[in-house]
Amino acid sequence: MSGGGEEHEQQQQKAPLPGVSSASTSSAAAALQGGGEATTAGAGTGTGAAGTVGAGTAGTGGGNGRATPEMKRSAVRNLIQRYFHQLQSGCGNAQCSNANCASSGKVAPMTPNEVAARALQLLSQDAQLCNSPTPSLAPAANSPHQDVDMLSPNDSSSSSSSSSSSTSTITSASTTTTTSTQSQSQPQKRPPMLIDMLQLTTPATTTTAATDADTVAVAESEPDAEAEPETSETPPATSSGNDSGARTPTLTPAEFLDADTLEALYEECVAADSYDRLQSAICHVFSSVERLSKSFRCRPGQERRHLLAKSTKTLNKEQLRQLEGEHDKDEDSTQRVETRTETETVHEYRNEDAELNETENTHGDNDSDDVEDEEDEDEPMDPSQHELNDKFLHRGIKIDFLGLRRIKRLLFGAPCQVISENLTNSVIQLTELIRSLSYRQETWETFSWEQAIHCLVICFDMATNTTANNSVTDMEYLDRVLPRLCHATATIPVKAQARLALIWGEYCPDQLQSLLSSCQQQITLLVLLNEEGVRENAHIISLTKVLKIVFYANILASVLERPSCRLPLQEVVESEAAAAAAAAANEEGEDLFAYSSLQQPHMPKFAEDPLEKFLKVSFIDCRSPLVPLEEFYNEALSEHIQMHQDYLSYKTLAMESELGSSHTNYFCFMLYAFILTPATKVDALYYDCRMRMYSERYSSLYSILHNYGQDGQEGARPDLKLTVRRDQLINDALIGLELVAMSNPKDLKKQLVVEFVGEQGIDEGGVSKEFFQLIVEEIFNPAFGMFVQEEETNNMWFNATPFENGAQFTLIGIIIGLAIYNNVILAVNFPMVVYRKLMGYRGTFYDLSDWSPTLYKSLNDMLDYQGHDMEEVFEQTFKISYSNVFGELVEHELVPHGSEVLVGQHNKRLFVNLYSDFLLNVNIQQQFNAFRKGFEMVTDESPLKLLFRPEEIEKLVCGSREFDFVELEHSTEYEGGYTEETQIVQDFWSIVHAMPHESKRKLLEFTTGSDRVPVGGLKCLRLMITRHGPDSDRLPTSHTCFNVLLLPEYSSKEKLEERLLKAINYSKGFGML
Amino acid sequence: MTAPRRLRKELVDLQESSLKSFRDIKADDDNLLRWTGLIVPDNPPYNKGAFRIEINFPAEYPFKPPKISFKTKIYHPNIDEKGQVCLPIISTENWKPATRTDQVVQALIALINDPEPEHPLRAELAEEFLKDKKKFVKNAEDYTRKHSEKRPAD
Repeated sequence: MSGGGEEHEQQQQKAPLPGVSSASTSSAAAALQGGGEATTAGAGTGTGAAGTVGAGTAGTGGGNGRATPEMKRSAVRNLIQRYFHQLQSGCGNAQCSNANCASSGKVAPMTPNEVAARALQLLSQDAQLCNSPTPSLAPAANSPHQDVDMLSPNDSSSSSSSSSSSTSTITSASTTTTTSTQSQSQPQKRPPMLIDMLQLTTPATTTTAATDADTVAVAESEPDAEAEPETSETPPATSSGNDSGARTPTLTPAEFLDADTLEALYEECVAADSYDRLQSAICHVFSSVERLSKSFRCRPGQERRHLLAKSTKTLNKEQLRQLEGEHDKDEDSTQRVETRTETETVHEYRNEDAELNETENTHGDNDSDDVEDEEDEDEPMDPSQHELNDKFLHRGIKIDFLGLRRIKRLLFGAPCQVISENLTNSVIQLTELIRSLSYRQETWETFSWEQAIHCLVICFDMATNTTANNSVTDMEYLDRVLPRLCHATATIPVKAQARLALIWGEYCPDQLQSLLSSCQQQITLLVLLNEEGVRENAHIISLTKVLKIVFYANILASVLERPSCRLPLQEVVESEAAAAAAAAANEEGEDLFAYSSLQQPHMPKFAEDPLEKFLKVSFIDCRSPLVPLEEFYNEALSEHIQMHQDYLSYKTLAMESELGSSHTNYFCFMLYAFILTPATKVDALYYDCRMRMYSERYSSLYSILHNYGQDGQEGARPDLKLTVRRDQLINDALIGLELVAMSNPKDLKKQLVVEFVGEQGIDEGGVSKEFFQLIVEEIFNPAFGMFVQEEETNNMWFNATPFENGAQFTLIGIIIGLAIYNNVILAVNFPMVVYRKLMGYRGTFYDLSDWSPTLYKSLNDMLDYQGHDMEEVFEQTFKISYSNVFGELVEHELVPHGSEVLVGQHNKRLFVNLYSDFLLNVNIQQQFNAFRKGFEMVTDESPLKLLFRPEEIEKLVCGSREFDFVELEHSTEYEGGYTEETQIVQDFWSIVHAMPHESKRKLLEFTTGSDRVPVGGLKCLRLMITRHGPDSDRLPTSHTCFNVLLLPEYSSKEKLEERLLKAINYSKGFGML
Repeated sequence: MTAPRRLRKELVDLQESSLKSFRDIKADDDNLLRWTGLIVPDNPPYNKGAFRIEINFPAEYPFKPPKISFKTKIYHPNIDEKGQVCLPIISTENWKPATRTDQVVQALIALINDPEPEHPLRAELAEEFLKDKKKFVKNAEDYTRKHSEKRPAD
């Protein structure tokens, strides 16, 4: 069929040259010949070879075509379309006198294909065009492809609906007798192909080229029947199957497949004990974007059922919205922008639209799917790109997943291995095709990625759908196809990727887990095969890129938190208030804007995630992801990634974006942080910290040199030195750091060096570790008044009525930042919401769950209460009370005159949100802002936020809370004559393993200066046990900065135990023992 | 005097309901979150006296449960020597904000009348209760006579 397309292409090139109209015929003939060969070769061998050759030549053809500027091409295309419309629909002017305009009544009734042919003819004749094309068609001209789809509703309707009796269809094909009407109806299918070819010259389409061109000359009915497999299942299959090997260009294999036809075909093949026909059908369809994109569509009505089933599972508004129809979206969001208060109008709109959609859907039985598609696509092109994207992203997809999965089981379970082999090859061919599409810049705009996405979804689903028996062939397909699929997927535009994420999230949440683990397996395998080249391995990179899509799909498939924690409360209140009038409508709108109002501090532009931007969700919106985010870590990759190299790429990208230069092709895993384990990310952070410490140090050394000899001027220090007295720890630290923060905040990024007055001890890390320990101990002491301890959870929380000013909170913020920066673990016990807030988000109701579980549970009970007597039962007003640090009762009105507003069914959610917001945000705002300011002073510019999720930050700051001393034993090294065989070492471990938790904690503190487990577990401590002379009465000692334990070779186990316990129980201070 | 609106209402309701087994209910003059009242059990061995209790409401009431403690000493498997009582309805796991104080008091009275030795706070009393009920009853009666308050006249 696409031979016709090629003809077009030629036509286009020639068209600008006057008087070569004859060329069109000759080129058509040429196409016929070439295409014919392609068909025979392709269908005959069933391998990709012929197809690839075809792709090559077709590609070259396209390349030559580019000699004519792109603009001319599209101008020609537009012209053809205008002729087409004019012939088919007319200009709308009843008085029109143009003989080639339907409105004039002078145009003889024609089939669409004839119309297309005529349009071409008119173009070459430069025939008269009416001035005003039908308004309804005007916008379509902008998007030729969609336009084309609209022209041939029958084409895919036949594919998707067996019951289809669409107005202009070729259902007559059901009677297989050859009649003239049928031969006329055959060409009807042509136009889409014609114009498709304008955009994509694919090898697969060349295969069909022959028949297409043929039918122009010889109108025969057989392919017609073939193209209509559902209406006449048996005859066409036979004809195509038997002859596929023969050199008869007149035969067309199926144009699409769906579950039922394929099953029927399979049954037949089983009966005939010959799978040739099945194979050729599969090869034919699966190797073509266009044909596959028409396959496995679900019938009208089916998809809706699918959607409904889904929406009950997860109450994602986005999906509900989709249920309610697409029209909604644009209209009500624009509506809202214009008149926010007119919620009722919006409501009306929504209802109208819902109705409209209803009717649309009832029509669906008669109309084809594509008609519906059209309605989606040909809506007026909004100038705002944003809405356009939204539109593209949120359309429904019409894949018959159930059927597809049935088919997969069938094909892979088939006794004939060649089938899956062929399928695999075809899909590989397909992926090459999609890739080649992605590489051709001009297709980016014009090509409807929907087709490619349709194919990708099908192929991925076949790859990951493990409901099928996990046979060898299954794995074979997975192993061979998945990398290529990922390769292709990684190259498609971000917008299309976003669309893929949405489809996966919405339609195949059950597949995400297996897709993820398949990708992970592949990555791990590739990493292990080539440990050195991890960072350059294109396959790993594209798999990682696909994982990112899966990552977002996973979030989209989960329950999203609404209102978003990224939204300032003020807007929530507004939206809640508005919600009273139009409940659901408004919140959604807010969500749309939530993202733009989000302030993302210190996130460099180049590091922003385009997918996140498109999809307007991030992991922060999702409290309990469908697939736990930890499963996205890839250990093998993280281990072999060579973080310093990756960090260099990161820096290069950063520099480039600063200079505004074009992006090089650096791939940086740091921008795909989800795949990296926290331990590896800590490495990245470490490099970043060191890097900046060194650069600060370097510049200050330079300034020392520079200022040398100038009287009395002391240059900046190369490090951040703090001198503190033990008994005045807080004050000295406060004054010292405050001074730095005020005079030169950049100094905070230098390496910290602490000196205790009157104590020797060079700070190689150990002294500052102790400094952190002590200062945290003091500052978090409830008696100190800055923090209060929550009785229920032992968590520390900001004292809402502090005696101190903000400076001390800034100090503790700096301390936390410095601890991260200097790789020190702190014994702080914050609820998770603190880390979320540190990252710039708002505490929400959900955060109460670890802040105060009882309160959270009670409020949830309240939300769950459904009775209408809520006001009487709860007697709760919008005035809440809490007790302050002195145990006094303090009351607070959540809204003005809150004491007069009772909580009822209509406002219970508002109450809960306001209450949470008050406790977590409002009440401690001043303190927290000071705290965060301090944190930011140290960590701004750092990739902290890029790399870590709040949960990970928590681990970073306080380490993990469980001690695995077996792990520690395995990673411990020995020196000074000890080995793991030495008696005393063995005694040591048996004593340690028998210790109670508290003693273990103390031992840990004694040897490492911290009682928290570092990120990555105790094995990352690299504990070293060194022989400290022969038996003596000396206590064991330690170098906390290097995690070294010095152990004299005591004479007995008892003595060792006694000395050890004494040491760990009486340790404090540095270098005293 | 500040107190959550619901608490004030509950206090009035309880006072007006004039329960026989829970009387003399008042809130502290300077702290409406602390109530006292007199439990008057019906069942032996506690029906020889009355027991003063204190109910402490958290500031977050009703979103956090109240706490109950006995001011009068009582010989009971579910109440410890300090007067602390373990009442499932007001445990943090079971607490429902819709639960009203009169329900809590009813549950308490039921527990006093019929001890639950399966979930004891004082294991030795629970054991005695199960193994030697007579001895338990005698001890409890003695204890009640010695420590409890006088029952109201009516």
